[in-house]
Amino acid sequence: MVMPVPDETLSHGRFRHWRSPSRTDTVATLSAARTISDDLKDGLASPRARRAARALRKLLDVEGLGMADLSGATLWAGQPSADTETAALLEDVLHTEAPSGRPPLVALPLHVSDELIGVLVVSGPTTMAAVREAAALVVHALERGRLEASADQAAQAELRALRAEISPHFVYNALTVIASQVRSDPDRARDLMLDFADYTRYSLARHGEYTMLSEEFHAIETYLALQRAVLGERLHVQVRVAPEVLAVAVPYLVLEPLVENAIRHGIEPRSGTGLVQVKGEAEGNECVISVEDDGVGMDPDKAKAILAGRGDAESVGLANVDRRLRSVYGPWFGLVVETAVGAGTRVVVRVPRFQPGVMP
Amino acid sequence: MAPPAGLRVLAVDDLPPALDELCRLLREAPEVAEVAAAGDPLGALKMIQAERFDAVFLDISMPGLDGLELASLLAKLSEPPVIVFVTAYDGHAVAAYGIGAVDYLLKPVRAERLSSALAKVIRMVSAGEPASLPKQALPDAMAALPVESAGRTRYVRRADVRFVEAHGDYVRLHTESGVHLVRMAISRLEEYWEGTGFVRVHRGYLVALSAVRELRSDSAGGLLANTDIGDVPVSRRHSRELRERLLRAAQRGQLDRQGR
Repeated sequence: MVMPVPDETLSHGRFRHWRSPSRTDTVATLSAARTISDDLKDGLASPRARRAARALRKLLDVEGLGMADLSGATLWAGQPSADTETAALLEDVLHTEAPSGRPPLVALPLHVSDELIGVLVVSGPTTMAAVREAAALVVHALERGRLEASADQAAQAELRALRAEISPHFVYNALTVIASQVRSDPDRARDLMLDFADYTRYSLARHGEYTMLSEEFHAIETYLALQRAVLGERLHVQVRVAPEVLAVAVPYLVLEPLVENAIRHGIEPRSGTGLVQVKGEAEGNECVISVEDDGVGMDPDKAKAILAGRGDAESVGLANVDRRLRSVYGPWFGLVVETAVGAGTRVVVRVPRFQPGVMP
Repeated sequence: MAPPAGLRVLAVDDLPPALDELCRLLREAPEVAEVAAAGDPLGALKMIQAERFDAVFLDISMPGLDGLELASLLAKLSEPPVIVFVTAYDGHAVAAYGIGAVDYLLKPVRAERLSSALAKVIRMVSAGEPASLPKQALPDAMAALPVESAGRTRYVRRADVRFVEAHGDYVRLHTESGVHLVRMAISRLEEYWEGTGFVRVHRGYLVALSAVRELRSDSAGGLLANTDIGDVPVSRRHSRELRERLLRAAQRGQLDRQGR
């Protein structure tokens, strides 16, 4: 590969490294290649592609360098070559998908993942090898950009797939209780039906990834109203929320699966009454939400297994919330489960009160 | 205030059970004097052209002419009725408010929610009447209230009041330094203080938004607003407004604790 060296660098280099092509040149070349690669990440149509074209022309030390898309529209840096000649060359490469011409005017196809996406045109005295390296650099940068974009999409898709799902166990329990009240207490049945409508509306909502904590608390109150109807005197509940966290943005349905888990695993399996406490408060720049039950608790190792996704099918909700929190806020913001056999369970969610990109 | 005669409203829905339910709720509302029903949008249009309605409660998804289209037609009338949309699916809210609807109810409708929609209708209807008096801008004479104690008059600053409790013809002002009795009806004090961060949370209570440290609900479904000097009961009817006001205050960052 030909290394074009700007004069000033050369003279500067001579003082310190008077024999070899200087280390400064190597650094400059590597850094130019990296910048070009970064600038091409968003594709040939992005605004930064022009800067990449200019830098690449400088690196090759040629008069003109152009990058054409599939329609033949060319982004030029330096002196464009004669129109008619270039047009014929481009036409040829777009048709044959093979290199065409020889320095001082040459065009190379750009294949990203085996798919033709454009043409690199170089005008000026240089070597074929240099042009090939330049084309390879462009192709690598474009491929990397595509991979990054698809990784982002995959992460988004995973988040969507992880959306908490409505629990059939709870739905049919609630419907059973409503059916039983229709005749004996129609007004109560109607109230419960309205709660049920609110519960399903919220759970089925498909607008946006995030919601406000006020909505999450409203949702669990609706949910708890129905659960109280199902479990009657066995369930005691206390919900406490500090107003300053009401506007905190969180992913949809983070809270309800935790409350559901507390009831399913803490209260339902035992006789007698149980207490579930839900609390939301501010701690500096963080919002701390805890869901606590005084139920049967579990072996801490089992809790660990559940969070790792190795729990039974009924514990999917907890692992799901944990993964969503970590994918949104980062690895430090997963669920914390404090539990022991017979000692109840406390699940704590800690989220930043303000997180860039997280808004309802 | 409601027009003395009460509201004349029209309910429009193509599904008979939904229409019956909406009419029943409207008839039960004290603000409503007369309820008419239309089972299809064209029938509704004819009725609205033939007689005057204060408000139309309109389903959105109907065959032929949907509720949004019907509402845009009604908006062209010289004296259009107030529009409230009633829909099963909440994906239309933006379009609905764009047409100028005053409210947007989700089916099945809750009575509390309907009553807040009717309050908005009444505000719109009376705003259109020339007789209604513009609300006077009161000088802020109520920033402190005189209280008598042991024969001496002192002043309790509004900023020190955490909550207010109705007590017959009196109100009890709860402050950190104690409880002070003032001869005034709570509804009167509410009028004076409502623009200054106080909210009616119960028939017998006003609370200062900035004094609320926690909302607490318990097994029985009752809601309490906790302040540093005690809990204030919140009735079901007022809970929505309290939550919304607290949320708006939180969004504006007005709730960060200042030593309270």
